[in-house]
Amino acid sequence: MDSHIAIKAENLEVSFFIQRAGINNFKDFILTMGLKSPFEQKKVLKGFNLSIKKGECLGILGKNGCGKSTLLRTIAGIMKPQSGVLEVNGNVAPLMALGAGLEPELTGMENIKLVGVLMGMSRDDLKNSIDKIVDFSELSELEINMQVKRYSSGMMSKLAFSIAAATDPEILIIDEALAVGDLGFRRKCADRINEIKDAGSTILYVSHHIAEIKNICTRAIFLKDGQVFQEGSVDDICDLYENELVKKK
Amino acid sequence: MIEDKAKRGIGSFTHLIWVLAYKTLKLKYKNSVLGFFWSMLNPLMYLLIFTFVFSKVFGDIDRYPLYALTGIVFWSFFSTSTIQITESLIDNSGVLKSINVPPIAFPLSAQLASIISLGFTLVPFTILMLLFGLEISWELIFFIPILLIFTGFTLGLSLILTSLNVYFRDMQLAWTSFLPAIFYSAPIAFTSELIPVEYLLLIKLNPLYYYINLLRDVVYHNRMPDGTNFLIGTLLAVVTFTIGFVIFKKLERGFVSQF
Repeated sequence: MDSHIAIKAENLEVSFFIQRAGINNFKDFILTMGLKSPFEQKKVLKGFNLSIKKGECLGILGKNGCGKSTLLRTIAGIMKPQSGVLEVNGNVAPLMALGAGLEPELTGMENIKLVGVLMGMSRDDLKNSIDKIVDFSELSELEINMQVKRYSSGMMSKLAFSIAAATDPEILIIDEALAVGDLGFRRKCADRINEIKDAGSTILYVSHHIAEIKNICTRAIFLKDGQVFQEGSVDDICDLYENELVKKK
Repeated sequence: MIEDKAKRGIGSFTHLIWVLAYKTLKLKYKNSVLGFFWSMLNPLMYLLIFTFVFSKVFGDIDRYPLYALTGIVFWSFFSTSTIQITESLIDNSGVLKSINVPPIAFPLSAQLASIISLGFTLVPFTILMLLFGLEISWELIFFIPILLIFTGFTLGLSLILTSLNVYFRDMQLAWTSFLPAIFYSAPIAFTSELIPVEYLLLIKLNPLYYYINLLRDVVYHNRMPDGTNFLIGTLLAVVTFTIGFVIFKKLERGFVSQF
């Protein structure tokens, strides 16, 4: 395999299993005597082709429901493809929903350990990066030992981003995660992303903020109905995205 | 088909299970000073009711409180394990949707947490049992293999329940309503000798029959666990766990679509 490729998808098909209308619980399933299959497949990605080089920063644009999150989940290994080929070279750090895995009843410090382990950090990784995480999060000694349920949403996202950014991922996935926090912290996040980028990592960036895409990405794709509708330079795709949205209205 | 280079090693997987179990226990006991005592209150209530209501009816059972308590300990382990494991996937749907964690980590850690929980309650219960006439004998060592096969059975059953619960959310309700049927058909408050012969087969269809009787062999009768029962118990555990694991792995693919 080409060693310059970070992610390669060929003819990738990913579906959702969804309940057929009217069968939502076990009772209904029993009542239909199992005659009707309670599930149907809804294809989200259809014959999806994409190749991303190492060190690239790819912006992903598209309307709601076009398959952006499904694509990211499949690359992160959270969803499995039905058919097709998907090659992922390197460890993936997904920032899908900021704050996933945070336990409100536990303190910030305990949450760093919990989420770190969930994200696949080993005991040693954790020991080495805990100071870095606390430092980056800008949370005070008092705040870090406070239950997370007492945090403001800004503080919560600072903590979450700090944990995710602490690993030096080869592939970083960001799904509209940075639309929170104060301006200073957002700039710091952007700096950290650039730092990860400069270290040679690949970044996939989903956002509806065109300015952010233009700021960070080197290339962009526009998704439509589970396929790559167009790929090209950031400016072209952003223009296309804006035109598409205007056309709808 | 998919190259997963970010696979966790066995060591980091077990670490994950421990961390999750620790979290579950911490949350359970953190918010109430009495958290630990609450987990003992339920079995104690059963014991109290049984002793008051049944010691007259089953008056000829020797050391009745000890007899009932051995059954209750295993029963509460079984019911809390199955209920907590059944909820474990749905409770963690947010994590499973956004972080690449093997889903089986959640039922496994819930099981571990409830074993540790059992360990905690065992200390005061042993004291209580000594008061009720428990005799210390070397056969008590068999508690460990018996608990092991019982856990295998419980976990296997729970794996089926929890994976179905992702698709049919009322599985949880169905199971809680079904639990009393298992409770009253298991020899917890009564001995199987008191059951008319024609109903004995019905009692023996309840898997708990074997595990509770095995536990009674060593704790109550101070004798070696019955060979046939041990064999049946082990077989049940292996078969149930295998089926549970296979079903879980089959249904696992679709979990994310359901969250």
